[in-house]
Amino acid sequence: MPEYNTREEVDFVIIGSGAAGGIIAKELSTAGFSTVVLEQGKYRKTSDFTHDEIKYFLNGEWFGAGPRESGMSFRENAEDEPQTGGQQDPALYAKTVGGSSVVFSAHFWRMRPIDFNERSVLGSIEGTNFADWPITYEDLEPYYTKVEWDMGVSGAPGHSDPPRSKPYPMPPLPINSSGAIMEKAAAALGLHADVQAHAILSRAHNGRPPCLQCGFCAFFGCEVGAKSSSLAAMIPLAEASGNCEIRPESTVFRIVKDADGRVSEVLYFDKDGNEQGQKTKAVVLSANGAESPRLLLESDNLANSSGFVGRNLMFNAHGGVNAVFEHPLNEYKGVQATRVVLDYYESDPQRGFYGGGGIDARGGLAMTPLMYATFGAPPAEKNWGTDYKEMIAHSFSRQMGMMVSATSLPMDRNNITLHPSNTDKWGRPAILVTNKDHPDDIANAQFLQDKGQELLDAAGATRTWSQPVGPSQFGVHLLGTCRMGDDSATSVIDKNHRSHDVPNLFICDGSSLVSSTRGQPTMTIMALAFRAADKIKAAAGAGDV
Amino acid sequence: MDHRAISRRLFLEQSAGAAGMAWARVAIPGLAAISQAACTAKEEKAPFTILSEAEALEFEAIAARIIPTTDTPGATEAGVVYFFDQSFGTFNAPMLPMLRGGLDELQSGIADGKLFSALGPNEQDAILEQAQNTPFFQIFRIMTFAGFFGMSEYGGNKDGVGWELLGMNPHEHAYSPPFGYYDAEYLEENPDA
Repeated sequence: MPEYNTREEVDFVIIGSGAAGGIIAKELSTAGFSTVVLEQGKYRKTSDFTHDEIKYFLNGEWFGAGPRESGMSFRENAEDEPQTGGQQDPALYAKTVGGSSVVFSAHFWRMRPIDFNERSVLGSIEGTNFADWPITYEDLEPYYTKVEWDMGVSGAPGHSDPPRSKPYPMPPLPINSSGAIMEKAAAALGLHADVQAHAILSRAHNGRPPCLQCGFCAFFGCEVGAKSSSLAAMIPLAEASGNCEIRPESTVFRIVKDADGRVSEVLYFDKDGNEQGQKTKAVVLSANGAESPRLLLESDNLANSSGFVGRNLMFNAHGGVNAVFEHPLNEYKGVQATRVVLDYYESDPQRGFYGGGGIDARGGLAMTPLMYATFGAPPAEKNWGTDYKEMIAHSFSRQMGMMVSATSLPMDRNNITLHPSNTDKWGRPAILVTNKDHPDDIANAQFLQDKGQELLDAAGATRTWSQPVGPSQFGVHLLGTCRMGDDSATSVIDKNHRSHDVPNLFICDGSSLVSSTRGQPTMTIMALAFRAADKIKAAAGAGDV
Repeated sequence: MDHRAISRRLFLEQSAGAAGMAWARVAIPGLAAISQAACTAKEEKAPFTILSEAEALEFEAIAARIIPTTDTPGATEAGVVYFFDQSFGTFNAPMLPMLRGGLDELQSGIADGKLFSALGPNEQDAILEQAQNTPFFQIFRIMTFAGFFGMSEYGGNKDGVGWELLGMNPHEHAYSPPFGYYDAEYLEENPDA
């Protein structure tokens, strides 16, 4: 790996090494451009990953110590006093090389043609910034295919998939018991149980081994590198190019704009807290949908002539129903979800609200012992003692859930701003999350949750339980906050991810999304990253960066 | 850091049941300060490093009511008290004063100055039921589960008894299908699947 001099210009500084940043780093460096990736997290590698629930769940290995260190706060309405407290940041992302792609569950859905022009088809929705994308499914399709082949995605076509130019590179992962239950339940209700595609290898691919079915996917790093994270699939190729330096534990606090309106340097704290500055010809901002707008706002409102930086935050609405069955499912073996019902993907005005999504059958919390025993078991009057011990001993292997992943509408009122006084442990202005889901988001997720209940009833669950869907108070999907668009008055970047305001600043991550996807955004973020990299390479090759 | 490291709010949030399925909530950073301290397994009857023998006896007695010994091993057999001791010397050090204070308070409520550990199980349960909504008990409960179900490198879950309770084989780290009853049945009915 090269080590670039901070005082000499590199071709690109990429801020963030996650789903988007890792891909762009690989694409630009293998094309011959000198790149420095600034990542705030540590450089943890595949060989570091274990099944240690105490480390990853209780001790904040990925997400940090919460508001105590981040200063992050939350409010539902702009009039409310921001609340800074609890243990968990309202915008959650893994601070590690590879970002949240290291810890995700890896359920990969393509968007469909309707996602790109839904505003034109359905009309406007009052109080929202519901809009068409400036690109089409056809524009992005080759890059979805590239994600499937270059990252490594296992799957099989579903009953209502969008057109694809190439088959999946490998067959789906084996069905688990929750998937088998979904097959029967969906058939009973006249629905379709589609194979859930995963960014997890079912067979050796691109020099990486297949999944061991160990069960520790969600919130764990894959110990064999079978999960197609940026860390496993892209970073090694970027480093092997000889043109990419990954600089971990580098926390960016400012992107410097010169008098000529171009960015020239990225300032950051190194791991010892010393201020550093990397000179560069261009910047790619891929820090995620909370950090990217924060960095722009913190850099004297950079790239924000539209005022759209930070606006239109979308978390994806969620819901779910838990169930216990008569016989063992053993969901601790294998991946989270192997079957998904996508019959309600499209919005249907007959339902009385906007929205769509999917319902997958999954182990949920019944996959790892400590989290299950502590928080995941069936509700009990007394969650300790002999009866509780007997209950968890029985239920752990017999429990599953129907998980709802669904749309969020983009709205001005839901946003990332800088807290007026809180700072993080580096002294940077802290992120303030303001979010109250649109009533349609909640109605849609509740509708899907009710369908999940019907599926579990049809499958003969012996016990089910759920909570009504309410407004999201935190998110792991951080979308929409630097949206792309043709009109520089209502978007932050153009359709090729270039800032409308700053010609050598590109932004690509969850913030680029115009709409929320149906609740599984990472595949789209990765496809956008491959496409953005192509556009950036072409522009750089033409001397237009 | 103080006992707010696990606040009442966290427990209310996490135990409210929404966690059951809005399951991203399982990401609960900051039980305590992050520590990279080396973890070594404790042998039975090993000396304690932080707790006094007397304290250890009381902590062990409480943990034994949270996960009692039945026809399967409980907190005692799992060595949960060694997890407590080891964690207080590492990542959980900031929690120790709060738990010591909680123990004192629990103890002070017992008639005739008896020790908690000297009571019978029914009396012990009655006392803990009175205390079960206190931050002390709720933290104690999570720590007991962490010592019972966490990796044995942290001092508890001796011989993987926690995982065995749930039906897992502690020596197996990779699986192949069929995984459970329903996918086995599905594969029988759909041999081409």
